Amino acid sequence: MSETATALLSVKGLEAWYGESHILHGVDFDVREGEVLTLLGRNGAGKTTTLKSIMGIVSRRRGSVRLEGNELIARSSDQIARAGIAFCPEERGIFASLNVEENLLLPPQVRPGGLSLDQIYDLFPNLKERLGSSQGTKLSGGEQQMLAIGRILRTGARLLLLDEPTEGLAPVIIKQIGQTIRTLKAQGFTILLVEQNFRFAATVADRYCVMEHGKIVERFANSELDANMGKLHEYLGV
Amino acid sequence: MQKVIALSALALALACGTAHAQYSGGVIKIGVMNDMSGVYADVSGPGGVEAAKMAVEDFGAEKKGMKVEVIGGDHQNKPDVGSNMARSWIDTQGVDVIVDVPTSSVALAVNQVVKEKNKVFLASGPATSDLTGPQCSPNLVHWTYDTWALANGTGKAIVKTGGDTWFFLTADYAFGHALERDTAAVVEKNGGKVIGKVRTPFPGTDFSSFLLQAQSSKAKIIGLANAGGETINSIKQAAEFGITQGGQNLAGLLVFITDVHSLGLKTAQGLIFTSAYYWDRNDASRDFAKRFAPRYKGHMPTMVQAGVYASVLHYLKAVEALKNDSDGKAVVAKMKEMPTDDPLFGKGTIRADGRKLHDMYLLEVKKPEESKAPWDYLKVRATIPAAEAFRPLNEGKCPLVGG
Amino acid sequence: MFEIFGVPSQALFGQLLLGLINGSFYALLSLGLAVIFGMLNIINFAHGAQYMLGAFTAFFLLQYLGWNYWVSLLVVPIIVGIVGIIIERLFLQWLYKLDHLYGLLLTFGLALVIEGVFRNYFGSSGLPYRVPDQLAGGRNLGFMYLPNYRGWVIAFSLVVCLATWFLIERTKLGAYLRAATENPTLVRAFGINVPRMITLTYGFGVGLAGLAGVMAAPIYNVSPQMGSNLIIIVFAVVVIGGMGSIMGAIVTGFALGLIEGLTKVFFPEASNTAIFVIMAIVLIIRPAGLFGRTA
Repeated sequence: MSETATALLSVKGLEAWYGESHILHGVDFDVREGEVLTLLGRNGAGKTTTLKSIMGIVSRRRGSVRLEGNELIARSSDQIARAGIAFCPEERGIFASLNVEENLLLPPQVRPGGLSLDQIYDLFPNLKERLGSSQGTKLSGGEQQMLAIGRILRTGARLLLLDEPTEGLAPVIIKQIGQTIRTLKAQGFTILLVEQNFRFAATVADRYCVMEHGKIVERFANSELDANMGKLHEYLGV
Repeated sequence: MQKVIALSALALALACGTAHAQYSGGVIKIGVMNDMSGVYADVSGPGGVEAAKMAVEDFGAEKKGMKVEVIGGDHQNKPDVGSNMARSWIDTQGVDVIVDVPTSSVALAVNQVVKEKNKVFLASGPATSDLTGPQCSPNLVHWTYDTWALANGTGKAIVKTGGDTWFFLTADYAFGHALERDTAAVVEKNGGKVIGKVRTPFPGTDFSSFLLQAQSSKAKIIGLANAGGETINSIKQAAEFGITQGGQNLAGLLVFITDVHSLGLKTAQGLIFTSAYYWDRNDASRDFAKRFAPRYKGHMPTMVQAGVYASVLHYLKAVEALKNDSDGKAVVAKMKEMPTDDPLFGKGTIRADGRKLHDMYLLEVKKPEESKAPWDYLKVRATIPAAEAFRPLNEGKCPLVGG
Repeated sequence: MFEIFGVPSQALFGQLLLGLINGSFYALLSLGLAVIFGMLNIINFAHGAQYMLGAFTAFFLLQYLGWNYWVSLLVVPIIVGIVGIIIERLFLQWLYKLDHLYGLLLTFGLALVIEGVFRNYFGSSGLPYRVPDQLAGGRNLGFMYLPNYRGWVIAFSLVVCLATWFLIERTKLGAYLRAATENPTLVRAFGINVPRMITLTYGFGVGLAGLAGVMAAPIYNVSPQMGSNLIIIVFAVVVIGGMGSIMGAIVTGFALGLIEGLTKVFFPEASNTAIFVIMAIVLIIRPAGLFGRTA
């Protein structure tokens, strides 16, 4: 139980449904202050649903989600965001009817202490050049991903939920995103990452939780990665 | 004693029973069909149904042992709705007489149905003089007014006082066309000239564009061949665009007291129009109005509502005399044979073509300072005697009026 | 003075100006519809009734409280907007997940009920509302006599339309609206209370209808059916402009006013139908409307 002592986010017995189908069957894990926790698992294991359930986007859910000890399970997603969690969805969610700057400035500040625009431009130098560009969706995939991460850094939320930030991107961009995540961690952000690309995850994660059939089936630290490689290949089918 | 009362009650019931047997379905069923919710609803609408009920009460149907029922229906100013309703009323609900039916196009459709089914049509609301012209029917009495009478009353009076060049704003349907045609004939017959016209889509709310066309025609008189809300808006907008200040005058060809009420005396003052009834004309008309108003939103009756009342009253007299309501032609023939006499239109007659004859009145809207009480809006400028008020019998081209 | 197709140019300018006045109302009303459709995905058939409600509210305020036109211009949109908010909370919020048709049927039914109630109490002839003293009279423009009030209507509705456009396309609040139109779930997950924003948006759109009603009161009769006469044309405008497009609604509103004005000169009988003919042509050539984004 030493985990809970320093847990920023504590998930217990989380269940979720899409319509009639039961997706999560009691998910338990903690995210500690300042760490990068990665959820691994095959397609359909329930990783994205876990993030969405924490965020309050899945309408029917049960169990317990606590942030800094405050129960969030009964709150609406805007209240959860305001409690201090920021979300970067798998499909990135760049708005076509907003220009790049509007996209970047869209999420409101929920707490003091978010990054300034200059700090964000330091992280993503490309974004600054593209500010004048018209539609947010005219950016390249990598730029869109940077925009999607960049915009949630301003809000002051200290816990970031990132859903497959490397999906469909070129290796050089993936590298850059890995660098960004390490920088964010160094700046004190806590990150819950969903990944299929565990080679990428290995470069940033402190701990791993492996999901299968809507449950956590394995958990280990980065240092135990090599010892668990065999099991992991089995779970991920790589 | 008890027994005697019981017996006489029984006898009375039997007597009534036999009396009923002469009426189709045992009941005289009056269907008041008009615009219950649209632009003409205030002209007649639910008030028309109320007027018909008052006629039944004043006739004393109950005391006379006649069972009379009044129903109302909304034809929405659509000819197909009207003719379908007439059909189902007659076929399935046993309606014996259809009353009112404003909106000429609907009235013409209903007229066909009533004739085909040999029932009775008491037209109070519609204006087209075709009902007693080419479209005349042995099952029809056209009671209150028609386009010829309006044109004759208003048109003649205006041309005689110098308004000899005309431009028409005509509602683009049967009524507007008939009113324009009849008025143009009167204007030309009295030495005036029609220098232009524009057909406005019906129903419309914005007439400013057409009024501007009328303005640039330089005609002295702009004739409004429309009715209800359309007339109201035309008059308001003419004032707004400075057309009346510019020396041109408006002639409202079909104006109802409810229109004046809605316009307000300030805007409407000085407007001249022709009507068959004004509530404040004599004791009898006042008495009716004062009984009517509390039953219908405090409104004084329009001439159409007055016409519904009087025509139903006369119809019931004819049915009573015939002791039968099943043959529409016979009832109308009886109505034509009997002289009419009612408190609102006085003594009168119904002509062979179905035209009811009575005096018409040329009315003028009072100035605000002349009005002493609510609904004290009009003064009678001239009385047009019954003999001159309506189109001569031989000019109507009604097939019923054989050579 | 020259003539165009046999019509004196002076008269033609007059007609075009009149067309612009009607266009002002088309633009204001279709703008509200576009805003509502964009955010709520609801085809607000009650828009005409809400416009009528605006005119009646102005009438009541004047009649019973003595509040003049200028006060009404400010207060009525708020009152009517609140009525809209109540409608949204009571009824519409339950329909967002259903087909468009349900919203359309509900608002259509509401329109009939509201109009029916007003007709029952106030009849169909309508009630008079005077032009405010400051705008009484008119001026001679050479080619026509323009009532001051109508000139005001063009200017003011243009300002309101452009202000609304600015609000939605150029401000932070507008960015929230546009983003929520695309992806309400994500915007909510950023911490924005989207349901409340939807409610307020409906209130705003309905308030615009109420504002148009106040502006219309001195021109047309304040009557229960004033909205149903107009709303069909306004829907045609929205379809031509493209559902949900703000600028499309404004430009199309004014443009169709002009086109309608011209048909009133050259072919008056067809002036009621001209807009629908245009609508049919646009639907054939560009089904998403002139300014609509093809999804």
